Amino acid sequence: MKKPPKIKKKKRPLRTPPATGAKKSLWLNVLPDDLWIRVKYGVTIYEALRKTTLDLDTECNGLGTCGKCKIKVITPIGPPDRQEQRLLSSEELDQGIRLACRTPIRKDLVVFSDTQRDPTELFQILKHGQTQDIALDPLLDRIPVLVPPPDLQTAASDFHRLRSVLGASRDNLKITHGCLSTLYADLRATEFRGEALLHRECMLAWSPVGSPNGRYGVIFDIGTTTLVGKLIDLDQGVEKGVISRLNAQTRFGSNIISRIQYLRDTKNGLRRLRRLLLNDLNAILRRLARAGGIEPHHIFVAVAAGNTTMQHLLLGLDPSGIAEAPFAPVITEGVTFPTQKVGLELHPDAMLYVMPAKSGYIGGDLISFILASGAADQETELVLGLDLGTNGEIFLGNGRRLLTCSAAAGPALEGARIQHGMIAKSGAIESVRGLEGELRYNVIGNIKPKGLCGSGLVDLAAVLLHHGVLDAEGVLGHHGRDTEFELLPARLAPRPRSEVMDFVVATPEESFDGRTIKLLQNDIRELQLAKGAVAAAVQLLMDEMGVTVDRIDRVCMAGALGNYVNPLSAMRIGMLPFLDPAKIVSMGNAAATGATLALISKAQWQRANAIADLADHVELSLHPGFYEAFIAAMDFPDRNVW
Amino acid sequence: MSFETLSQTVIKGDMQAAAELTRKALDDGADAQQILDQGLIAAMDVVGRKFAEGAMFVPQMLRSAKTMQQCVEVLKPHFQGAGMTTKGTIILGTVKGDLHDIGKNLVAMMLEGAGFRIVDLGVDVSPAAFVEAVAKENGQIVGMSALLSTTMPAMAETITALTTAGHRETVKIMIGGAPVTADYATSVGADCYAPDAGSAVTEAKRLLDV
Repeated sequence: MKKPPKIKKKKRPLRTPPATGAKKSLWLNVLPDDLWIRVKYGVTIYEALRKTTLDLDTECNGLGTCGKCKIKVITPIGPPDRQEQRLLSSEELDQGIRLACRTPIRKDLVVFSDTQRDPTELFQILKHGQTQDIALDPLLDRIPVLVPPPDLQTAASDFHRLRSVLGASRDNLKITHGCLSTLYADLRATEFRGEALLHRECMLAWSPVGSPNGRYGVIFDIGTTTLVGKLIDLDQGVEKGVISRLNAQTRFGSNIISRIQYLRDTKNGLRRLRRLLLNDLNAILRRLARAGGIEPHHIFVAVAAGNTTMQHLLLGLDPSGIAEAPFAPVITEGVTFPTQKVGLELHPDAMLYVMPAKSGYIGGDLISFILASGAADQETELVLGLDLGTNGEIFLGNGRRLLTCSAAAGPALEGARIQHGMIAKSGAIESVRGLEGELRYNVIGNIKPKGLCGSGLVDLAAVLLHHGVLDAEGVLGHHGRDTEFELLPARLAPRPRSEVMDFVVATPEESFDGRTIKLLQNDIRELQLAKGAVAAAVQLLMDEMGVTVDRIDRVCMAGALGNYVNPLSAMRIGMLPFLDPAKIVSMGNAAATGATLALISKAQWQRANAIADLADHVELSLHPGFYEAFIAAMDFPDRNVW
Repeated sequence: MSFETLSQTVIKGDMQAAAELTRKALDDGADAQQILDQGLIAAMDVVGRKFAEGAMFVPQMLRSAKTMQQCVEVLKPHFQGAGMTTKGTIILGTVKGDLHDIGKNLVAMMLEGAGFRIVDLGVDVSPAAFVEAVAKENGQIVGMSALLSTTMPAMAETITALTTAGHRETVKIMIGGAPVTADYATSVGADCYAPDAGSAVTEAKRLLDV
């Protein structure tokens, strides 16, 4: 089989969610710790790495004269330039060593760097979400004030004079002890001209004009696998920095059930998990502050969104109730606490907002997704939202009625339980097409394939269905729909003494490490369970709402799989109902977007709480129709979409 | 008399044709028990085997099981005296704190298809409810399902409860569910672990030596 043809960037819709507006940007994947960096076309590897925690050796600062910034480029690229030929030995050139400052990035690249680094920090794929235009009214108010100097007539106190210039609406203004304790000196040092930082009815700080105090807020998307932090400019409502890292808790299990089991079985388990999370979040905070040129204590407000279990762990609440029926969490309401009490290292008087959740499995992340989708802002359009990752969370409705549910989409969609499955990282087949009877695929990082990630698996199944190598009942074999495509059936591998066949995705020559990459018959079964669960959940929400699929006006997709899966393939395998693909919108990191909206607008925070109140939770495991719908959704549709 | 065509029809899940063939076999003078054993149960054995290796999947297995049920309905009036003989009674349930239904239902259906009598206690079943059912229904096997690693300990609790109630000597214990393993079965003192509905049949037959 030939190497897949080079594909022009605009033909790669899977890596580029259309809504993010990211144009001409490429991925740089740095091994061995799998750092992902979004870069502009043409910048050098050196420039790209300078924005990260990686510290490349350099003396000339990128001029191409010192020859220190050596890096191994794994993706095949053009010949080295003159400087590189001069500064690198021929052995080094043979090994693929290049100078980072001499190597512009013109396609997705995988490089290897063995310099010292923070091993857990990585730039993730889902950093950018859609944003809406909303009126800026951040959770933190920063009000410019000229306080009248003290005078003998009234002998009014500093705080009294300050309060009176803030206007009658602030008559009940309170003040933190920390703010008060330095107020005397602070007011005089600024000659009574400055900014009052207020949270609701409480003054948190007095700040000189132009100081970074309170200029920025942060949001956290606390996922089971990945933690993302964003620094948000509260004056402009824009994102100033994004840092993400692997959740250190993953060493205690990849899913929330195993985390809960750990904390139940281990002495101080809850405290340990919480400590790990806070360490991660505080590290993200420090990096975000550095990216914004400020200190963490300049930040006065943070918003966190995550699944209900992660939100519990952040607040130090025992989530054990979520792990078994009747799945009752400690709290679902949106809450506000001083960050100091929680353990986040911002300004000592800073406030943390935790997004409202609906139930043990409908967390603040789904409420944030609904908020970001705008579904609840209107009553005319019917919006279907799918957040597809390890667990699938789904909503359907609008401002009049909103249904939510959680479906165990199964680990298949994130590559687990699939023989050659993997998460979406370097070497994963991310998309597959059938072309002239052969298989064409895109591999993340433009290297030979190591395995299949969720979007690749869904694509592959769709291609096999299309070419009659896979039938509607999910059996791999010669179903011979399409005689012109003879090469695909040739990849079927019968098992000895069995009627069962597997499908060879890549031969040892075609694969990265000389192994055969197979899609096993059993892998198809795992996929059927996962997509069946999603499809059944969607079906039940539609039944509950009393609508059919043609009534759906918009489909919002979020989550690792939701953003990258090809909608047509998802329809072909029956994971999504058949509808006009133009109705489907990728939302990027919708949890982060929702949290950002809440941070920059008090009205949006209120709306998030209203959404949690409005939403109805449909418990699938108790639903009488789920069993039938699930089994009915396991088969593949007998209908081609191409 | 060969029941090969009937078996194939049950494996394919063609309900009408299978019921038709069953009626025809009766008309031809075949014994009801023989049709059940050599036609229907034999077919479900094949279905279980195909399911275990992935050649058949849940909807197809269910279709076959339903087809078999139809045929059994045709046979029922023709059993002599005591009625159908069963291979034994199995008490099934998903353990306390766990609401996962589907896997357990498939196991029930396959065991029923293999000729066992099933008492399905449903989901979120307490140890006491298992104990009570064993006594009342004279169960020979207790089958427990758990789909959450946090509810697996309820299997051990149930086994302890059965031991305390004095049933452990007379009842065999089979467990299954996504997070369950053969090692776990050994560690909690179960008699066997069944990875899927087809294996559950094989294991149940082995446990009761039928």
